[in-house]
Amino acid sequence: MIIRLKDINKTYPGVVPLHVLKDINLDIDRGELVAIMGASGSGKSTLLNILGILDNYDSGEYYLDYVLIKNLSENKAAELRNRMIGFVFQSFNLISYKNAIENVALPLFYQGVSRRQRNRLAMEQLERMGLADRAHHLPGELSGGQKQRVAIARALITNPSIILADEPTGALDSTTSRDVMQLFRQLNDDGMTIVIVTHDPNVGAATNRIIRISDGRIETPQPITV
Amino acid sequence: MFDLINEIGQAMRNNKLRTGLTGFAVAWGIFMLIILLGLSHGLVSGFEKQSGKRDNNRIAVWQGSTSMPYKGYNKNRKITLKASTVEALNESGNKYIRKASASKNISAATVTGPEDYIASGVTGVTPETRRNQWVEMVKGRFINDADIEARSKVMVISRKTAKTLFGPDSANVVGKRVKSLDLSWKIVGVYSREWDEDEVFVPFSTAVALSGGDPQIWSIDVIVDNVSDEASADEAENALRTELAQIHKFDPEDCSATPMWNRFKNYLQNKTANKILDYAVWIIGIFTMLSGIVGVSNIMFVSVRERVHEIGIRRAIGAKRRNILTQIMLESVAITTIFGYIGIVMGTIAMQVLTVIFKNSENNPLADASVDISIAVKVTIVLIIAGALAGLIPALKATKVKPVEALRDE
Repeated sequence: MIIRLKDINKTYPGVVPLHVLKDINLDIDRGELVAIMGASGSGKSTLLNILGILDNYDSGEYYLDYVLIKNLSENKAAELRNRMIGFVFQSFNLISYKNAIENVALPLFYQGVSRRQRNRLAMEQLERMGLADRAHHLPGELSGGQKQRVAIARALITNPSIILADEPTGALDSTTSRDVMQLFRQLNDDGMTIVIVTHDPNVGAATNRIIRISDGRIETPQPITV
Repeated sequence: MFDLINEIGQAMRNNKLRTGLTGFAVAWGIFMLIILLGLSHGLVSGFEKQSGKRDNNRIAVWQGSTSMPYKGYNKNRKITLKASTVEALNESGNKYIRKASASKNISAATVTGPEDYIASGVTGVTPETRRNQWVEMVKGRFINDADIEARSKVMVISRKTAKTLFGPDSANVVGKRVKSLDLSWKIVGVYSREWDEDEVFVPFSTAVALSGGDPQIWSIDVIVDNVSDEASADEAENALRTELAQIHKFDPEDCSATPMWNRFKNYLQNKTANKILDYAVWIIGIFTMLSGIVGVSNIMFVSVRERVHEIGIRRAIGAKRRNILTQIMLESVAITTIFGYIGIVMGTIAMQVLTVIFKNSENNPLADASVDISIAVKVTIVLIIAGALAGLIPALKATKVKPVEALRDE
């Protein structure tokens, strides 16, 4: 089990406290391609934040690759994000003044990898994405699909335990969306665990398992895979 | 390190106008600081150049009147310094008195050469006079100890006097003879001086002998030993007064009997004043710079605010707080240092221009104004500290950016 959530609860404090995640139990195996679907306000973004070690939860336990993720210091969280998780975002989140290869290499910069080594690895990833000829282009000079592939290359460069994708096709047209999903399937075939948060049924249909969340609860009981 | 520099360069290129405007404020502050430091440096080095030509460990003594009765003498008695006073001081063995000397003017003397004569009198002096009166030798030598010992009839004249006495062939007057006070004098040296080249120098002992007996002298110049600070300078002054009180029989406490000018004390006070000037300039300069620094701090705040999303992305993909803090602070230091250096260079050029323009004017502080390497080093240190301070608060703000920001769509 690469992801195991046990009785996760999360409440946003306020005048009227908002209980966004209610006793979430979820297991995801290594090598799965999973979609988390739900309407906006269902709590799926909060769940993604917790899975991505971007946010804390109030009670329960979250194991990522057998590491208990709970009450981590900011530095420890940053380190785990860097090594274990590859993020893919809806709006790509590339740094606009850095070219493709620099963007892809950035996670390794924070690992203290040498510049030469970084650029070599980044170039490998770009080649894998078929973007070798775009290595020195700025994000502004790339199409949406190319930007998302650069972002995926960046997510892969640290060889993470899982890829977390937040509406990865949300800003793309249908053809490009299909291509990107094709790419995710291909990565999954190579053994990568991928969790995609989406509200697009087509994206959901392209995955192997759909986890529906509404009103802070997982809708259908999950079949336990061995 | 190269990567950080690269990052900073990219960030600065992204905001050329804003970086430029802020940079101008910093460069201007530094420019003013350099100008101020250069001017004060010129003032101080001018002072030191002048005081370096003379011995500073000196006390000058004049004649005065007593203000206290002493051993049956009434007050208001005039004290007359004499040639024998100088001798007595030199023989006193007081640890503060290294050498007392005086000059004796014979104003009635005329000096006659083959061409013409002058009637400005002759002055009997000691070897010390050369330094104390800024006499620069052009040819030959000054009055020396052997002249004093032997009461030689030798003379040191100025270039101007040489021209008057010998006319056109005044180039080689050393060794030639002139007449004065019905005696024949040998010229042993020719001097030049920035002012008053009318004086004709002869040995003190010779002038005393020619004046007859124990003539009155106007002032005594004492080179003092064992002075290092204001307290010891005061002690030396008191010791000297005690010696004079014994010779001339007045109360050792009586300050008006022999008025003194303690040049060493004066020198120390000037040095203190210079130090205060230096501090004042630094304070003014740093306050001038402050507006530039506030500007840098401001630009960094805006920059952090604009880059919340970017910082969020960096945090999401694994940047630690420390990484963000370092980046923002180094950006601030880089802006401050780069534009500060432009200010230093401009300031240095401006000082060079001023130095060239005012090169020929004497006693002008601008003639000596310059920026030396130690000022540049100090200013650089100030710049780096200032840049770090300017970046600190914005950088701390940047570390508060949550990585979740990266997920939020703009």
